[in-house]
Amino acid sequence: MTILKLADDGRPGKQDDVRRRKAASPEAGSRRIAGPLITKRLLSWLGIVLYGGFFLLPIAFLISLTFKTRDEVLLGQFFTSKPVLENWWKAFEFINLAGFIGHSVVIASLSALLTVALATPATYAVARLQHGEFVGSLVLSSYIAPPVVALLPLFFLMRCLGLLNSFSGMILVDGLMNLPVAYWLLRGFLKKVPAALDEAAWVDGAGFFKTFLLITLPLLVPGLFATGLISLILAYNEFLFASLFAQDDRVRGLTVAISLFQGDRFVNFGQMAVASIAGIVPVYLIALVFQNRLIGGLTVGGVK
Amino acid sequence: MSDLDPKLTVSGLNRRTLLAASASMVGGGMLQLSPLLRSGAFAGQQLNLTIIQPHAVAGEVLKKLFQDQAGVTLNFTVIPYDQVHAQATLDVQSGANHFDVHDYWYASIGALVDDKVVVDVTDWIERDKAQIHPEDFIPSIYDAYTRVNSRRWGLPYDGDSHVLFYNTEILKRHGLEAPATWDAYYQAVKTITEKEKGGGIYGTALLGFKVPVIIVSSYANRLAGFGGRFLKDGRPDLLSEESIAAAEELVRVAPYALPTPSETAFDQALPAFLSGKVAFLEFWTDLGVRAQDPQNSKIVNLWDVSQLPVGGKNKTPVAALDAGFGWAISSGSNKKELAWEFVRWASSGEVGLKLLTTYNSGIDPTRSSTLNAPEYKSFAPKVQRAAAAAFGSALVWPTVAQTPKLLDSLTEQLALILAGQSKPKQALEAVQRAWERELV
Amino acid sequence: MNSSKAALQVDLAKSRGGLDQSRLVVAWLMLLPLLLGLLIFAIYPSIYVLGLSFTKSTLGQPFKAYLGLRNYHWLAFGGDDIFVPSLLRAAIFSICVSLVELGLGLWLAVLLASMQRLSRLVRSILLLPLMTPPVLVGTAWKLLLAPGGGLVNGKLLSLGIVDAPISFLGTQPWALLSLMVADAWQWTPFVAILAYAALRQVPDDVVEAALLDGANATAIFWKIQLPMTAPLLLAIFMLRLIMAFKTFDLLYILTFGGPGASTDMAGFAVWRTALRNFDVGTAAAETVLFAAFVSLALLPLLWLHRRVERIAS
Repeated sequence: MTILKLADDGRPGKQDDVRRRKAASPEAGSRRIAGPLITKRLLSWLGIVLYGGFFLLPIAFLISLTFKTRDEVLLGQFFTSKPVLENWWKAFEFINLAGFIGHSVVIASLSALLTVALATPATYAVARLQHGEFVGSLVLSSYIAPPVVALLPLFFLMRCLGLLNSFSGMILVDGLMNLPVAYWLLRGFLKKVPAALDEAAWVDGAGFFKTFLLITLPLLVPGLFATGLISLILAYNEFLFASLFAQDDRVRGLTVAISLFQGDRFVNFGQMAVASIAGIVPVYLIALVFQNRLIGGLTVGGVK
Repeated sequence: MSDLDPKLTVSGLNRRTLLAASASMVGGGMLQLSPLLRSGAFAGQQLNLTIIQPHAVAGEVLKKLFQDQAGVTLNFTVIPYDQVHAQATLDVQSGANHFDVHDYWYASIGALVDDKVVVDVTDWIERDKAQIHPEDFIPSIYDAYTRVNSRRWGLPYDGDSHVLFYNTEILKRHGLEAPATWDAYYQAVKTITEKEKGGGIYGTALLGFKVPVIIVSSYANRLAGFGGRFLKDGRPDLLSEESIAAAEELVRVAPYALPTPSETAFDQALPAFLSGKVAFLEFWTDLGVRAQDPQNSKIVNLWDVSQLPVGGKNKTPVAALDAGFGWAISSGSNKKELAWEFVRWASSGEVGLKLLTTYNSGIDPTRSSTLNAPEYKSFAPKVQRAAAAAFGSALVWPTVAQTPKLLDSLTEQLALILAGQSKPKQALEAVQRAWERELV
Repeated sequence: MNSSKAALQVDLAKSRGGLDQSRLVVAWLMLLPLLLGLLIFAIYPSIYVLGLSFTKSTLGQPFKAYLGLRNYHWLAFGGDDIFVPSLLRAAIFSICVSLVELGLGLWLAVLLASMQRLSRLVRSILLLPLMTPPVLVGTAWKLLLAPGGGLVNGKLLSLGIVDAPISFLGTQPWALLSLMVADAWQWTPFVAILAYAALRQVPDDVVEAALLDGANATAIFWKIQLPMTAPLLLAIFMLRLIMAFKTFDLLYILTFGGPGASTDMAGFAVWRTALRNFDVGTAAAETVLFAAFVSLALLPLLWLHRRVERIAS
């Protein structure tokens, strides 16, 4: 299915796109930008290095912590003179770390799916089908208050539904919790997908839902992945609900497990750091897999 | 033989140590089982308990013992030490009723009773007096931990108090002795810090992080030393001479402590002391065990411990009952009989002694018999000496229903004076007002 | 001819009417799951919390006694001098931090968009702070900033920049600044990744056309990329602002509201009232006040968002 190319004034553009695209490819573009401005390029590089350094520093520090014994932690140095490996296997041996991480991954992934599944059609309904304008504000107003006190009625509700200390309960809670974020992000992404395509399909007699599924969704894929990943990360790192609804070892997740390290008086930072690094790995892998879908792929005028 | 689940412990327990300890237990003497338990009447059943993270190792020991002796499985849910109250309350209030027994902080007993979260066990104690030996409990602990409105609501099992740890090497360098008064303490800290802070060594690590059990403990230690108390006949007594002196003492030493008290919690203070960077530390007695463990400590045999100093007109050392835990039965439990059997058993002298002499159990004595037991003396001689000397009289934290709010306003004001944003007298006046409003 | 044209128009009108009808139905069907979720998760608890705010309630005994507006009166005028200042501190913190994160994140996104090969590597690194469990973010920064042996102080001392360690978390204004730095570290990637996705959605040929017309990178950014991504950027900013208002994990680990009361912020204060003091009645009133306060702050943003959306489309 070819999609009409649109020039910036909305009219279908000329078809001599091959030459144009070649001449204005990203490489050509950046060459044109950066060519006479070497300082600008240097500045970008400097920026990247500074950024990278800043963002990497605490992570690198955490990694170096995993190799330190307890008394080396607060020595004001980055590297340790005598690295130890014991934190690594000890952290896994003394709590069911792998299990807790597994729980977190399952809960976060499924809740992210739930979030996106609920939010996407709703965004479409408001933005394209133009009904339910109030949803945006409703969703936002449910997000602005700290959820602490809401724990009381939710605890009661979960208990009534038998969902305390269960996977489905946590998936439900985390899935619903991130609805506002998903809605507003998807709304922004949806606006970028031209409405003309949908309208054309409607005129051709396609049903609204079908259009949504077959025309809009494929174009929305990067936005879907971005939103899904953010929802996954937010659910993965959630602490408050997890600490109250999922304390049982069978469903306990990573954030609560780490709080146990924290809740000891003789905190073992090395093991805590191991738990954290190990916890980051699965989400990181998921994110890496998503990278392409997340960012690349969509250029209006190029989808076949 | 060991069917221990290695997945429950977190605090660096050595598996071999645990096996050794439990081997001695199983072969060892009779444990406090009721005839009912011994007969196997409850065999095959389960109990759900909350237990705080610092007691995770003790939980392991209890689990194995109870399984072997009574055939009952204990399902511990390990929770950070500051969350038991909330979990217990929600459990009952929402009708979930998942838990049977709780590892509760003694200061919260008033609130727990007021919210009907725990069960009145006075009659059971009376009935089983002969096995429980309530007179063996250290009197100040027994009343503080279990008594509300002249009824009893649990049994003590971890009798925490602060003692003064010090680094003998550093003190020797400056020709100092263990201070008997807070003033001598201040002078010692000042001397050490002024001379050695260039090398990163300070006189003391003053725990001032804005959590009640941390910052209020530091204040309580001084309040105890000066002979003051929190409540007098149910009314706040924070504007007494002793109370103000205690707050002033706290502020006085702050500039000479490990930078800075406002951000110093366990995670900074303990490594500092255990690596020889501070000379003094007010902490719970189980630090003594850890300080002798070469894997965790650089100051093995280079430390000693004494009771907290005294001050003002008071000349007798007073124990400050900072933290401290007991077992209580959840009012939502449908196994109250079995739960009571456990509570009785777990707070008994024999079980207590086993826990006391297990590495990293985090348990301190609650009974005179265990406090003075020869096994304890040989296990941790220095600590036993200091603890035994202090329990004569004790400063008890408030245990009324409003305790959480009382401690919150006290924490708030203490943090302000440590941060230099308020003066001791002014701050205590604010707390007094707040407390009066709550308690009236 | 006329009549058939008229007939066609009537037909069109009819089918348009029928179309409108089915559009309405489909829209509501698509909205239904979300609305159901909101009902369970937002509307029911909100009503409960609102009701709770008019009562004297503890965690164990909700709805103990009816108090009318007393909780609100106490918080706003009556002598509680903790909550209202915490709201103001939260406002300062979240506005500053969101603006910084928006700026840095956007700049980073633009940098990423102009790089080819390394961009994937940098993006991967970028995700790490976002994925780190919040407790560990706090712990890592606490250790980095510790005066007695933290990395930052260690370096500062060894380089001779200071003679005594700086207490980053124990003194003002460092405490608030440190919180902001830790928060920016954790959340700038959030903005950057989303902004990058937004930038990539700007149609290439628009950019190409501008380049062919001789525009330079800056002009392209300000005149094309920014306006086209403005709605999404504004949405990201709003979300980030609200999240920052509710900051909890960092406070719990780094300062607990100290030193003194200088970093005590509203989200943390509500938690303390509810789960430390167990005074859920007051906490409920605090929650309502919090929501009202943040709504006020959001209204201008929402209005701006609507305008920008209209312009961009």
